Amino acid sequence: MVVNVKLVGLFQTGRFKQKDREYPAGIKVQDVINELKLPQQHFGIVLVNGVHADIDTVLTEGDHLVIMPIVDGG
Amino acid sequence: MKFQTTDPAANPTAILYKRCTIDLRSGDMSFADIPCRNLEDVLGGFGRSFQDLAEREIENAYCEENPLIVNTGLLTGSSVMTGMRTYFSGYSPIKGSKAGLPAAMWSTGSGRFGAKFKWTGLDELIFENRSEKPVYVVITETDAGPQVALKPAEHLFGLSTHDKIMALQKGYADAHFAVIGQAGENWQNNYMGAVALSTENQLKEHEDKSRFAGRGGMGSLMGYKNILALVAQSSDKFKPLSEAIKQVNLNVIKGGGSARIQPLSRGGGGGTWAAYDVLQEFHAVPVNNFRPQGNDIPEQLFRENVEKEYNIKSQACYRCGITCHNNISEKNADGSKGEFLAKFDYEPLNLFSTNIGIHDAGQAARLIQLGDNYGMDAISLGVTISYALSYNERHPEKTILNGATFGDYEKIRELIIQAGEGTLPEIGQGSMRLSQRLNETSYAYHVKGLEIAAYQPETNPGYIWAIAGGHMSMGTYGLLTREGKSDLESWVRGITEDKLHIVGFDMIGLCKFFDITKGIGTQMVVDCLKSELDLDVSTDDIRAAVRRAFLRGLALELRQGYTKAEFCLPAEVSENPNQNIKLPNITSREFIEKLEKRVWEIFEPELEGLFD
Ligand code: SF4
Repeated sequence: MVVNVKLVGLFQTGRFKQKDREYPAGIKVQDVINELKLPQQHFGIVLVNGVHADIDTVLTEGDHLVIMPIVDGG
Repeated sequence: MKFQTTDPAANPTAILYKRCTIDLRSGDMSFADIPCRNLEDVLGGFGRSFQDLAEREIENAYCEENPLIVNTGLLTGSSVMTGMRTYFSGYSPIKGSKAGLPAAMWSTGSGRFGAKFKWTGLDELIFENRSEKPVYVVITETDAGPQVALKPAEHLFGLSTHDKIMALQKGYADAHFAVIGQAGENWQNNYMGAVALSTENQLKEHEDKSRFAGRGGMGSLMGYKNILALVAQSSDKFKPLSEAIKQVNLNVIKGGGSARIQPLSRGGGGGTWAAYDVLQEFHAVPVNNFRPQGNDIPEQLFRENVEKEYNIKSQACYRCGITCHNNISEKNADGSKGEFLAKFDYEPLNLFSTNIGIHDAGQAARLIQLGDNYGMDAISLGVTISYALSYNERHPEKTILNGATFGDYEKIRELIIQAGEGTLPEIGQGSMRLSQRLNETSYAYHVKGLEIAAYQPETNPGYIWAIAGGHMSMGTYGLLTREGKSDLESWVRGITEDKLHIVGFDMIGLCKFFDITKGIGTQMVVDCLKSELDLDVSTDDIRAAVRRAFLRGLALELRQGYTKAEFCLPAEVSENPNQNIKLPNITSREFIEKLEKRVWEIFEPELEGLFD
């Protein structure tokens, strides 16, 4: 299945900004994070189709996944 | 401080702090070892100063009875990472109720002044009355204990914050400095004066790299008292690092707390600037006076775009491994670093760029630098200017001031200069007064008279209960954007339980980046207190003390005449909801009314008897 993945901020470095990517059915957000080797300590926000989700969310065909680093004041 | 107990929660009076009180009118000064009243006093910062402020009934910030209290926290000057904070407290010239009474306020900054101050042996300095002539104050460590002297300061008058520090540095070795700029000197017309605190990098490189205690106009209060600078002169007194502190410091650097603040080159998130990328995903980066337009305009200030043309270097306060300062300089033709411009923290960056229609990093940096050198709070200044620009956009036929509009760099620059020099009270006195004068208050982005930080109010109704402005005294700014919470229960819990604990950092002497999500009621802090000071205190005791201190702040607001109706967000937020923001609407009138009811039901019973 195809999932549109958008990476925000430092996650783009050495990867991409936004891409359609092919994944097996039943894959979770955590699997995408692992596959892209995103640094865990910066992991902050996940949106699936514009709605906050978590790393256990199961993705389905055509989903739009946004992965963002943490934002925390300052 | 003197410690005659290891149990500060049970025996606070067995812990004494050294206070010097100076009568600026007569020059008299007295020293005393004061027993702590409670754990808040022991922790220090605003936890202590607000109890003292509560003992005074002040009707006008610029009156002789309004003290300026300078103090530190229990871990200021310790080996614990970020232990650099100095606190300035008093009744604020800028933050006040509609009844006309000034609010109690504190402001804090890092740099190295706080540690040097603590190492002189003094814990608190209270300035009473005002000096007839400009003075600066020298606090020195001697064998007989701390000594304090008042010195004539005519030669410093009119200098910028940086130039004052450079001038003082010539006369005082082994010292650090807390100074005001021209804005604070022009306190009559400028209520947003900040206090600049010198950094090691500033003294070594002679570049204007101060840190600032900006909020609430404590620099203007200092100016009213005719104090242009404080000098703290002492030798360094870092204890050797214990295993426990080493472990804590390592946790702070490697743990989740500060990872996003670390430089990109060290695998970090690149500082608070990174908020731009994340908030833009929700179209929640403030644009043109807090009205995001749903377009990609904020992306021009993304770090990756700025880096192409400017040199960015991460620096830190002395010995801090968090390295949160993103210093931006011109880039020479060969790619090397050119002239230093300014620090790019998220707040000043946004408020002097996208939120005033400036999308050029160099111009934004120049404006930040200008405001810093005049010694003005970047948040109050940026937001008051954005209000004026918004007014002019709405009234092209009868503009105010110099007619500046969004993006007009030269005219905005002119406004900053005039405000800094005290010739433009319309800007210098803040957005609440300006909007009241113009009778258009709905789009003045302040809460309780203090301008809000660069997080859209639509994302943070917690601003309503922040006791010292913005998001840094109520840590709910990420509840919607980061955690996706839009239900009433989460917000009630956030405001009344977890997120108010952010203010604990403004007691103990540490930066919030030490552990911004958890506050100071943690095992890490317990370990630090044991290792550094041999104090046994539980996380529960710390949390209880922080909560009491927060509630005291709320009670003081009510005592200074705030009505509940004044605990509100800018009206535009609910009157004209911004459809461009891609987040659930949690600032509708209905939601806010329910939230207010629930929050006050919890807070109100706890406020009773706090000042008995
Ligand atoms: S976190 Fe930043 S401001 Fe605080 S001490 Fe470290 S470098 Fe300084």
